[in-house]
Amino acid sequence: MRQTPLFDAYSRHDARVVDFHGWALPVQFRGIVEEHLHTRESVGVFDCSHMGEFMLHGADAIAALDSLVIGDMVHLAPGRCRYTALLNGSGGIIDDCVALRLSPDEMYLVTNAGPLEKVSTLLAENVPGIVDCSEATAKIDVQGPLSRKLLMDLGFAAVAPVAYWRGGRVDWRGLEMIVTRAGYTGELGYEIFLPAEAAADLWALLLDDGLAIPCGLGARDTLRSEMGYPLNGEDVDESRTPLEGSMDRFIAWDSEFPGKARLLEMREGGDYERLTPLRSADRRAPRHGFEVFHGGEKVGAVTSGTFGPSLGCGVGLAYLRPDCAAPGTPLAAGPRGMEITATQAPVYTRGTCRVKLNQD
Amino acid sequence: MNPETLRFTEDHEWVGEENGLHVVGISDHAQHELGDITYVELPKVGAKLERHAKAAEVESVKAASDVYAPVSGTVAAVNAEIEVATELVNQDPYGRGWFFKLSDVQASDLDGLMDYAAYQAFCGEQ
Repeated sequence: MRQTPLFDAYSRHDARVVDFHGWALPVQFRGIVEEHLHTRESVGVFDCSHMGEFMLHGADAIAALDSLVIGDMVHLAPGRCRYTALLNGSGGIIDDCVALRLSPDEMYLVTNAGPLEKVSTLLAENVPGIVDCSEATAKIDVQGPLSRKLLMDLGFAAVAPVAYWRGGRVDWRGLEMIVTRAGYTGELGYEIFLPAEAAADLWALLLDDGLAIPCGLGARDTLRSEMGYPLNGEDVDESRTPLEGSMDRFIAWDSEFPGKARLLEMREGGDYERLTPLRSADRRAPRHGFEVFHGGEKVGAVTSGTFGPSLGCGVGLAYLRPDCAAPGTPLAAGPRGMEITATQAPVYTRGTCRVKLNQD
Repeated sequence: MNPETLRFTEDHEWVGEENGLHVVGISDHAQHELGDITYVELPKVGAKLERHAKAAEVESVKAASDVYAPVSGTVAAVNAEIEVATELVNQDPYGRGWFFKLSDVQASDLDGLMDYAAYQAFCGEQ
């Protein structure tokens, strides 16, 4: 299995390590529920170094990326992030990713670990001069309402003005990093991209005073599930289009992208399944593969589900027939007819990610 | 209960005698493997359980699992406390995290179960 630059640090925190897309990553340290709640109430630190990073230079490269994804990359303003998706020729989702316009001339693209090899090849073949920085880059996510305080205490003064879905270069102790605020937990938080060789020192510093705790993939999954965000490979993949994946608002219909004709056709017809957040009536969770029923009729299937520690009930995502995807629709799931309801993202609404920051 | 006095199944249930009844729960190894327990469904008092039949259900954050009756018997009591405080199963699997108590248990049913040392070895080899 591949290891991130922080692998040696896991054992100091009692990590339970699992195979995630060929990477040896911690599923939990102290426990998923504790890590989840600590992130919601204080601050959690996640190793996301397995994810992919790419640097694009120049208008030609940015225009080439624009032609591969559903979003408008050309007109993305410097300092802003955009959630988007790379599509195959029939409009299927190869990967959902985040782009940051670093400057008028530069774009930074953050992709998932699962499809990384395919994405890397696709980008290398289609985007002139693109640089794959994945190997040389570590990614540490600092998430939670106290994340800003933690970073400021460590001298990250430059993160102070970074607003939600913004990012840029940050100089910290002479080290150049990229910092964004596009985290997947629903909380105020920062994603720090730094040279791999500096990752262990920063990781140790972040955890030094005990305010933050290390968090694993388990808590990351429960946090994103409570927000109703999809997980690549589980909720979205090449068999589904961005329309089915409920990414409508991220589609720039004025620009060209692979599979656009099919998406236009789908939009016209309107009769396609939609990825829909769910919540269950009790602490039981809808699970991957559970069939979903409405009035005794099968109307879809669950793609991911878990217990949501902040909500105290099960949460999940399912592809549902369009007439059953409206928030509030009562449904049943699984062999025992678990009571669930279609809802909307975010399922957990008290996240701090949109909080207005004091700029002092 | 002292785990060294209990008998264990390969499915990681334990059973031990207390005041004439047989108490059943899941092992420390099982709770550790499952992680944070978030939901428990217990059998009904009075239900007759066959050895190896499904008796209860546990869900952790990541997965759902069945709990089987380690021996045949009649459910004499259930631990309603763990339905609301599921973390007790994680914190005290041989004590406050017990699942149910059985009456009418045949002593010979216990013969096929592992003692603590054998169970420890079984978990180590898994």
